[in-house]
Amino acid sequence: MKRFLLSLLVALAAAPAWAGIPAESEDCLGCHSDPGQKYDLPSGEKLSLYVNQEGFAKSVHGEALRCTECHTDKTSDHATGSLKFKTRREVTRAYYEQCKGCHFANYTKTLDGVHFAVMAKGNDKAALCVDCHGAHDISRPGQPRARISQMCAGCHASEATVYAKSVHGRQSGQTDDVPVCTDCHRAHDTTDPRDGALAARTPEICGRCHTDEKLMKKYGLSTKVVSTYLADFHGMAATLQHGKKKGPGVRLAAVCTDCHGVHDIQKSDDPTSKVMSANLQKTCGKCHEGATASFPKAWLSHYEPTPQKAPIVWGVQLFYRLMIPFMVGGLVLQIALHLWRVVVNR
Amino acid sequence: MSNYIVRFSLQQRIEHFITMTVFALLCLTGLPQKFYQAGWAHGIVGVFGGIDNTRWAHRIAGLVLAVSTVVHFGNGIFIMLSKKSYFSMVPSKKDFEDAIQQLRYYLGMTDHHPQYDRFTYKEKFEYWGLVVGNVIMVMTGLMLFFPVQAAKLIPGEIIPAAKVAHSNEGLMAFLVITIWHIFNAHLNPDVFPFDASIFTGKVSRERYVHEHPLELARLEGGMPPDVHGHANPVHGGKREVG
Repeated sequence: MKRFLLSLLVALAAAPAWAGIPAESEDCLGCHSDPGQKYDLPSGEKLSLYVNQEGFAKSVHGEALRCTECHTDKTSDHATGSLKFKTRREVTRAYYEQCKGCHFANYTKTLDGVHFAVMAKGNDKAALCVDCHGAHDISRPGQPRARISQMCAGCHASEATVYAKSVHGRQSGQTDDVPVCTDCHRAHDTTDPRDGALAARTPEICGRCHTDEKLMKKYGLSTKVVSTYLADFHGMAATLQHGKKKGPGVRLAAVCTDCHGVHDIQKSDDPTSKVMSANLQKTCGKCHEGATASFPKAWLSHYEPTPQKAPIVWGVQLFYRLMIPFMVGGLVLQIALHLWRVVVNR
Repeated sequence: MSNYIVRFSLQQRIEHFITMTVFALLCLTGLPQKFYQAGWAHGIVGVFGGIDNTRWAHRIAGLVLAVSTVVHFGNGIFIMLSKKSYFSMVPSKKDFEDAIQQLRYYLGMTDHHPQYDRFTYKEKFEYWGLVVGNVIMVMTGLMLFFPVQAAKLIPGEIIPAAKVAHSNEGLMAFLVITIWHIFNAHLNPDVFPFDASIFTGKVSRERYVHEHPLELARLEGGMPPDVHGHANPVHGGKREVG
């Protein structure tokens, strides 16, 4: 142990002396600098053995890691040997295991993610560390943020196309205010959206931005969308359905995405918006079969009842706000007087 | 002379029992929906096996209440038409005078307790409160049960108003019953700990003399009692119910 710590200390002390790429790696790059250098895998695929030196130098690991820290089994005389891998995917899967040596916390998170779950079920294509982060050219994620969505698009192309046309996606390149894939889906412990668990969390997920006064003021949007949702029938039912999963015969109360859409969210005044007043009857009808034109008016469109916006609701609310204290107060007073007289009589 | 009076018929006792059971179930399944963000609400919903089961229990209990209300109305109308009995629940001028006198008595401004007939102003208040409450709850409840059908008949804006009314009227009913009814039927020193008359139908003659002297006098064909509540019965016997 002592010897290990000592050597680590020496290595750390020596680090600043290695400008650019660690010295040992230069030996490796002596061979792996030919872009045409390839290895024929048994699957028939060609495995490029080329490492872009410039790319690696600029990567987050360029100044920190030596080749053998990830490629632990490589020795200086491996040139003539044959690889144990049959396919390119096997290579990727073998080397992604090295990431957890340093990035254990994020690796642990991936064990709760949908990508790991489908991989465990045998899906070979499920995303691994290097599929998202890259291998030799790893740079800090989220710089710029839009890069995250582009990266997910590699596999999730159809979702990405829809997202790119949405109110969020259209602004994705221009501002950091809009959500990218991982803001809703999370990065390492990516939630499986299919069982309804992610949808059930949308009041919280969407609310993160849509209750932010400063951010919403910039776009002239209301921050009462979550509180008004929760105050109404859907929000109440969804709150009490907490933890319930989708399944046969299970009807979950509407959450944000059921009305507004998921990747295709548009401004409420956009003609293609699901919640635009002209489209609302159809949107309500998804759950409320046979909804007529007057039915959407049963929903207050995220407005708090006021004499202008919903006079009937406001009036009824005011009536009970006065009536309940008056009624209860009056009865309590009469009971108090009754008991007082009983005491006096004694 | 019998030492008790039959105050409530079997039908009335059954009606009370149904209302009591259904009301308790409605509060138990309804209030968690109003206070859905509270921990206890999730606890109760869990006992019923989720919000969907809770809601079905609420709807079924609500339908039972609706039917019992309709039956009660039908029965009342039938009795009035057949002139079998006067409708003793109708509020009168005397009730307002009684209420004022009762309050004066409580405040020590008079030593004369009001003389009550079959139903006191307190009982009439609670009865009509329940009747009006039931009508509001059943009507708004049906709108919330069938919102799509309701929106075909009435403007859509009425439905959220119905929800506000249902939720608040329900809370008010719960508070009135827990405060007022529990006091009058349990904690009131005259009946403490439990006025069992709505279950047995019977009230002791002694208590009747004190609580409903005017009715007792009428039943027994005697003179109304004097102001101190001492009845002058001529002959006893059970009262005709109705």
